[in-house]
Amino acid sequence: MPSSYNLSYTKTDADLVNTLKPPSKGYWIAITVLFIGIMVGAYGWGTQILYGMGMSGKNNPVGWALYITTFVFWVGIAHSGTLISAILFLFRVRWRAPVYRSAEAVTVFALCVAGLFPLIHLGRPWVFYWMLPIPQMGEMFPNFKSPLVWDLFAVFTYLTVSSTFFILGMMPDVAILRDKFKGVKKKIYGFLALGWRGTDQQWRHYTAAYVFLAALATPLVISVHSIVSWDFAMSVVPGWHDTIFAPYFVAGAIHSGLAMVLILLIPMRKWFNLQAYLTDHHLASLAKMMIFTAFVVGFAYAVEFFIAWYGGDMYKQGVFLWRAFGPYWWGFWGLFLFNFMLPMLFWRHKYRTSIFWLLFVSVGVSIGMWLERFVIIVTSLSHEYNPFAWGAHKLTMTEIYIIIGSFSLFFFLFMVFAKVLPVVSNWEVKEALEPPRKG
Amino acid sequence: MSAYKGSHILSIYATIDELIDGIRELKKKKKMKFTVISPVPHHAIEHELHPKPSPVRVFTLLGGLFGFSLGWALTYYATESYPLIVGGKPLLSIPPYGIIAYILTILFGALATVVGFFLNARLPEFVIKDAYDERLSSDHFAIQYYGDENELNEVESLLKKSGTVQIHKKRVEAPSQKYFVD
Repeated sequence: MPSSYNLSYTKTDADLVNTLKPPSKGYWIAITVLFIGIMVGAYGWGTQILYGMGMSGKNNPVGWALYITTFVFWVGIAHSGTLISAILFLFRVRWRAPVYRSAEAVTVFALCVAGLFPLIHLGRPWVFYWMLPIPQMGEMFPNFKSPLVWDLFAVFTYLTVSSTFFILGMMPDVAILRDKFKGVKKKIYGFLALGWRGTDQQWRHYTAAYVFLAALATPLVISVHSIVSWDFAMSVVPGWHDTIFAPYFVAGAIHSGLAMVLILLIPMRKWFNLQAYLTDHHLASLAKMMIFTAFVVGFAYAVEFFIAWYGGDMYKQGVFLWRAFGPYWWGFWGLFLFNFMLPMLFWRHKYRTSIFWLLFVSVGVSIGMWLERFVIIVTSLSHEYNPFAWGAHKLTMTEIYIIIGSFSLFFFLFMVFAKVLPVVSNWEVKEALEPPRKG
Repeated sequence: MSAYKGSHILSIYATIDELIDGIRELKKKKKMKFTVISPVPHHAIEHELHPKPSPVRVFTLLGGLFGFSLGWALTYYATESYPLIVGGKPLLSIPPYGIIAYILTILFGALATVVGFFLNARLPEFVIKDAYDERLSSDHFAIQYYGDENELNEVESLLKKSGTVQIHKKRVEAPSQKYFVD
């Protein structure tokens, strides 16, 4: 923590309470706009349920289209939260403390939004429970050899573990709010603090549970998106059937997640005056991590192309050439530009400490990662083995409405969180400070 | 809630140094029925108290083992009860079932960790019964000492020497007793 800000135990508490002041007019306008966006998404989904799946742009051969693209995108966004909160915790990275609470919120809310897309994609969302391992009248049971069932288990576990980590991590901070507020707020935060007092016994069990939860969440960072990637890699679709998919997806997930964390942290630190906690050093550290993840995804793009050529499979070669020079060329070159080229700006100190460039590159990477999933899914399905079965995806307004709704829901949840719960982990920031001393 | 219950005093300190002095005073007089309250865990406090490893780890291990076993049992049951026969392929397939077992190991390990934490920390406690001060979550520290009337009076005069800023007393009907051994 930079000494120029003169942080102390008392100051951090005052700043925490300050973030929960009654919101400004701008906040309410933003919340209203986002709520309208959610309603637009609900309208899109409602019309799709009412009139059928023809309302979406899915067809034969492109049976997985924008819904699965956006599902994979949101699961990917979730990953950086666990990376920052769990893995950096286990490695005792000091700059993590002020950043991780927001990153964890990104994880939880992104997973909530991601979880909607398989339901939207189903067409008959009311029979979603057929995926669950419960005996049914139809004598059916989930096929545990299917990657789609692994995916359900993986995403559900990820949501449960990350929500648990998120909620448990907030307990001591919620206790501070209980002790700072009066009246109804005191009662609400008092209920949420669950009687936390900070006794040595409580801290002993709490820190142990925290370490074990971090250790359990850490393999999930790797495994969840690996399992999502196997939804594709286990099939025989050219362009999907690759062993590189698991590490490729995980690196991409962390890449997009870091971008989303920056997109949210930068305005948040300005609105809540958190410059003492979320310093330029923290933002630059995230930018440096993005350089690394950009190289990993760039390497994966190169390896995919190399194997398509070196493997000698003409169908695969056909798909890859079609990706680069077919009608979806804009998606392919766009993802390469946004995901690999753009983050290279962060090699220069000037760019990784400039708020404008940090936001510009982060938005670019978010677009690029969505394009990556779109290109993988849509171009592969639309250009499979049989030329008579080739076809293109046709974008519909229903899909656009639902995607607008998903982004609105994510930002809506985050903004509500930022106004009712502590966005910076106060107790962990305090841990890095000198405690009150005699004299 | 702490490892003790019953009548107690809460001696509040403005600095960690005075808190440590207070702990040392009690240890010197072999008065050990106390709990320390602090806004954050601190190595200086741990150094004085020498805490044992938390039993939460046992919950994590048992939860993980349960999840691992459940993963294999569930997939085996599903395959045997609802066979999906695909020509030329074995009915039971280890690698995909291992994925389910792995995921459930983590899921139940995490859930058991949380249960272990709540049981051991004696939470939730929706109404705080012991003496408490709102400064303790912010920037103050405290020693909470449990005992009978005579012992509390003795400890109170002892702690007053260590720089306490305030002492709260809480008298309850039940006799002081240790009810949670770890």
